Amino acid sequence: MTPDDPAAAPSLGVRIGALTLKNPLLAASGTCGYGLEIAHLVDLSTLGGIVTKGLYLAARDGCEVPRIAETPAGLLNAIGLQGIGIRAFVESVLPRLQAHNTAVIVNVCGETIEEYAEVARLASQAPGVHALEINISCPNVKTGGIAFGTDPVMTHDVVAAVRRASRLPVIPKLSPNVTDITVFARACEEAGADAVSCVNTFLGLAIDVESRKPKLAFGTGGLSGPAIRPLAVRMTWQAARAVKIPIIGIGGIAAANDALEFLIAGATAVQVGTLNFSRPNIYAEIEAGLRDYLTRHDLKNIQALSGTLQYPR
Amino acid sequence: MTVASGGPPLDRLCALVKRESLGGAYALLTFEHEEVSRALAGQFAMIQPEISGDLLLRRPFSIMDVDSATGRFTIFLKAVGAGSKAVFDLRAGERARVLGPLGHGFSLPAASERVVMVGGGYGVAPFALFSRVLKPSPPFHLFYGGRSAAELPLVRELERRGIPLTLSTDDGTRGEKGRVTGPLVPALSVGEGTVRLYACGPEAMMHAVAGIAAEREIPCEVSLDPWMGCGIGTCLGCVVKIQEPGEGRPRNRPACTEGPVFDSRRVIWPQGGPA
Ligand SMILES: Cc1cc2nc3c(=O)[nH]c(=O)nc-3n(C[C@H](O)[C@H](O)[C@H](O)COP(=O)(O)OP(=O)(O)OC[C@H]3O[C@@H](n4cnc5c(N)ncnc54)[C@H](O)[C@@H]3O)c2cc1C
Ligand SMILES: Cc1cc2nc3c(=O)[nH]c(=O)nc-3n(C[C@H](O)[C@H](O)[C@H](O)COP(=O)(O)O)c2cc1C
Repeated sequence: MTPDDPAAAPSLGVRIGALTLKNPLLAASGTCGYGLEIAHLVDLSTLGGIVTKGLYLAARDGCEVPRIAETPAGLLNAIGLQGIGIRAFVESVLPRLQAHNTAVIVNVCGETIEEYAEVARLASQAPGVHALEINISCPNVKTGGIAFGTDPVMTHDVVAAVRRASRLPVIPKLSPNVTDITVFARACEEAGADAVSCVNTFLGLAIDVESRKPKLAFGTGGLSGPAIRPLAVRMTWQAARAVKIPIIGIGGIAAANDALEFLIAGATAVQVGTLNFSRPNIYAEIEAGLRDYLTRHDLKNIQALSGTLQYPR
Repeated sequence: MTVASGGPPLDRLCALVKRESLGGAYALLTFEHEEVSRALAGQFAMIQPEISGDLLLRRPFSIMDVDSATGRFTIFLKAVGAGSKAVFDLRAGERARVLGPLGHGFSLPAASERVVMVGGGYGVAPFALFSRVLKPSPPFHLFYGGRSAAELPLVRELERRGIPLTLSTDDGTRGEKGRVTGPLVPALSVGEGTVRLYACGPEAMMHAVAGIAAEREIPCEVSLDPWMGCGIGTCLGCVVKIQEPGEGRPRNRPACTEGPVFDSRRVIWPQGGPA
């Protein structure tokens, strides 16, 4: 068999509950707009899917500027979930997205459990939405967001409400700003989640020493990028051992090896976030790296890699 | 209305083909990038050295000049912090990641209009390219201001291009002493035809120019300079408050995709006050 024999090509396809992805690479919420914004730079059909910017029922203005500050190997942001709202997304974006042949995952937000459920219901009725990611972990809004993701009872209740409102795969996105992430992963599983995304940004603070003020207008912000990768890999590994549902690993992925770390730690798929900003076409490079790895390690498909960490070493 | 984009942006790893120091923290850098070499005046590119270590995000730089025949473009750069310094430190032959051309540039004046450009600091850069577009008509003039003579490093280059210049410095070491708006105001009322203003520079300067334009009902475009993360409208880091005529209240608009050039009457300035 020659290496380019299609029969020999390792498979990158993965399953997350009822959701089938052609490869495990997703663009993370808040880092690819609603997909269309990056379509002239990335062939969306080469991605497993995209996760939209967080959507509430209504449009939102978000925080004041400055909203972003670069930190070592990281980005601190407080955007505050500026967005067009679920109805505008369904009416004006979704029809155009469908032509791009990629899975569309809606990042569902709410200030109340009822709002989460209603956004989920509207998203589920629209043709072309493949799954829901529940954002219970945004650190940059005054109501809702992280408040839901740092209390296991509230986490359970939001996930259960969305579960009742939708037949699509439901994927809560965990906050890393907790002592024991396994408690939250289990709460999600018990409430009927199909998978969990792991993780959102870490609460951080950057200070302008001259003015002695926070660098961001909101004050604190969420830290992302390679700086958080070992933390996110550790949490992915912990969550994967605590629940049976699949994990989507997120945090500082900048190369194929980074994605591999998450997969080996127990993730079934991964999301690339901050790196979309500086390397919009990074997916081709990561995908090639994954294929090369599978070939070198004689693996027929990428799912076989998930959770193969040998620990302790 | 702003003019349409000079073609879709492309992300390329491209070589720095020429580097010319202008003294101090200033330099002219020329890269090979076919798409950006077709940029319109006022557009920009997001740039980062190929090897950028722990620096994650690219930085935005205005296109100062283009040569579509050779597929090259030039930026006028001031190193102010780590990100701009990393680009400043590139040597000829080294490579950078360049995404562009991005944003909406300046709209073209009518043949009957007289163009007055106001540039402060590195904000003067886009007017070098804009002047080429304007030639031979309509008539144009550039007011170029800085803190001191040392902060006007582009004067020789602008003179070489035959751009009519009025210089000013805060400390009087070159041109008229004081703010760039000092010589600007009297100049608006001499000469033929109606004036069209364009400003790019520090926010306080653009705010002042916008105020002058509003008082005299002169059309004015400003090129805003917020902190940008991605340049393509996805991070929403660079939003500015824009009041569109049909909308009840100002909205946060990403400057990278909806600007950086805006009609000054639409901009809600953080300083507040009339513009
Ligand atoms: C559309 C656009 C076009 C530009 N064109 C040019 C150009 O042609 N030539 C050029 O030299 N520069 C240009 N800039 C500015 C340049 O992008 C910044 O100087 C650079 O991003 C700063 O990054 P840094 O890492 O070097 O500095 P940092 O370390 O990030 O910042 C250095 C200091 O400047 C402050 N600062 C950073 N960014 C801004 C800002 N936008 N406004 C006010 N203060 C700020 C920081 O708080 C800090 O005190 C342009 C910016 C924009 C948005
Ligand atoms: C500017 C920015 C905006 C974000 N917006 C959202 C959002 O709307 N919803 C959400 O669930 N996560 C959001 N995130 C979090 C990312 O999806 C991701 O979980 C996080 O950035 C960690 O991944 P990374 O290190 O690859 O960026 C945002 C992150 C950034 C940097």
